[in-house]
Amino acid sequence: MELVLELRPPESRHYPSWRDRLTAVARLRQPDRLHALCEEAYVRGTRAILAIVDEPIREALLAFQRWRDAAVWAVVPNMFAFIRDLTDLGMVGAARARFLRLAPADMLRQGAAALGRLQRVLRKDFATGGLLVADMELAGLRALRVTRLFLHPQLTEVALAGGVRELFTGFAARAERLGLEAGLVTNNPLRAAALLGADLARFAAVVAPCNPSGYKMFPSRPACEALFRTDPGRFLAADPTAGGRVALSAALDYVRGLGLPGVVLDPALVTESFAAPVRPAAADGDGAQG
Amino acid sequence: MSVRPLRAAVIGAGRMGMIHGHLLQVHPDTELVGFVDPDTTLASHLASQGLRVPLHPSVEALYAAAEPEAVFVCTPTHTHLAVVRECLRRPVHLFVEKPLAATLADAEAIVRLATEAGVMHAAGYVYAHLPIVQRAQELLAAGALGEVVRFTAHAYVSEVFGAKQGWFFQKEQAGGGVVANMGSHLLFILGWFFGPIRRVVATVRSHFSQVDDSAQALLTFASGVTGLLDTSWSMPGSQMLDYGLTIDGRNGTLVLGRERILLHLLSPTGAYDAGWSEIHASELPADAAFDVSPHIGGESFYRQLTTFVDACRTGRLPFCSLAEALNTQRMIAAIYASAAAGTPVDA
Repeated sequence: MELVLELRPPESRHYPSWRDRLTAVARLRQPDRLHALCEEAYVRGTRAILAIVDEPIREALLAFQRWRDAAVWAVVPNMFAFIRDLTDLGMVGAARARFLRLAPADMLRQGAAALGRLQRVLRKDFATGGLLVADMELAGLRALRVTRLFLHPQLTEVALAGGVRELFTGFAARAERLGLEAGLVTNNPLRAAALLGADLARFAAVVAPCNPSGYKMFPSRPACEALFRTDPGRFLAADPTAGGRVALSAALDYVRGLGLPGVVLDPALVTESFAAPVRPAAADGDGAQG
Repeated sequence: MSVRPLRAAVIGAGRMGMIHGHLLQVHPDTELVGFVDPDTTLASHLASQGLRVPLHPSVEALYAAAEPEAVFVCTPTHTHLAVVRECLRRPVHLFVEKPLAATLADAEAIVRLATEAGVMHAAGYVYAHLPIVQRAQELLAAGALGEVVRFTAHAYVSEVFGAKQGWFFQKEQAGGGVVANMGSHLLFILGWFFGPIRRVVATVRSHFSQVDDSAQALLTFASGVTGLLDTSWSMPGSQMLDYGLTIDGRNGTLVLGRERILLHLLSPTGAYDAGWSEIHASELPADAAFDVSPHIGGESFYRQLTTFVDACRTGRLPFCSLAEALNTQRMIAAIYASAAAGTPVDA
């Protein structure tokens, strides 16, 4: 089973208490500590990092990839940062702020691309804007070995609610042009499958909640399980332990039972797993400890 | 027999308006029939998000074109009263985004108008619809803690670390700063749990913006429960609202977080033994078919809409009615009044 470490700004997670939050954030804001976490995950068999890349995470991944043959699956754009800027600067101002952070060559490239879509940009077209912001972030990821490109869940859920197929097809086309596989992160995999139909096949991986408790499995665990069974190779399990309420070994057994090829582990799970004694890797290459 | 979906329109095409628009399209029991916003150039932006309903420049134009049974008021806070007054020229059910108004007088007028119109109404305090919050309320209502004595609460988010622009950071338009906007989520929950507010002692401070960026309030409820709320949107470490509430009663303590309740009981109550128990959100039914915002409100947005639709269908006011939100508004007003006067204020 493929193990994937999920990295995103630690401020964007839920924690049991404020003290736990500050402890985790203080630790995971430091590139060195993030790098160490990646190493822990690697020792446990992780060969891919699903990441919303901000500066500390980028620095850590650069250091990690110097030593390890592990792929980055980038989630773009960083919508938390973008929404924060939206409040202050408005749509155009938030995009402009990102643009001004680009290297001069990227500015020229992105500027030319935006000019080609000027009418749609001026109309505040949702898909065009989302893809432009994603493009700007991608320009900053060039130094990383990125093999898969995932659309940020906040954009994904809004587009799923509105049935905006062109955002998904446009995103998949971008990934294909870059020689990357496209992916989705969503809490609404049934709606994604219903909206995209055959185009779902353009997304090599769909990360969705999958755990024995049915936690976050919308609209229901049976409905999600039925979907996963129709195309098990495409779905990766997120939140396998239901917020820490299911033992990792039981969670992995459940995911394996559904035939899913991989599971996404958050930093807390990796740290917890790393604290457990290491056992020889199983025949299927599953190095995670329950 | 299938029930016809509730026909609803959204007034205000900002961020919250769009979220409600999406939910109204997704929910099987609702039908989105239109948007209202004076900036009609937003029509193409809405359409590009899949919100493909007419955008009208006024409520009057909406009513001329469609017959909504309900309206969702998502305009800037200071306009809520005027918008509600205009909407209630017809008997439509009312959903008003939080906070109810920029002033207590406006909020009282809104509740009076809605009551006189005899319509169903609700306010957008979405966190109260999280299953884990609702379970905490059930435990308290069932008397699990015995007589509730005191509480401590916090609501923090990392949002304001410099000068800010826009109506959201103008007191006259937004009704205040962190207290009125982020902290009010928790104030609503406190009012729902403990009843009408009686007295407040508070301080507020502006660190970066023109409005309050942090506040501490000692709240006394008519039920006798007292407690301390600490809130700030200038706390590093959390991109989403992080709240926590610890409630002490004569039979134990309940600690409410985003995903779990820790319960310590001195003597067993209902399904819970004496000693520590943990209730995790994963053990509770979510009753939601769509998660519009996984990292922020999560399934609570969908559940909030279900609650409102149920009220409209049954004619029974929901727990999140505008009258309940008026209690929150009284707390907001009393916090600001106490902070300004430097003395305790009766709400």
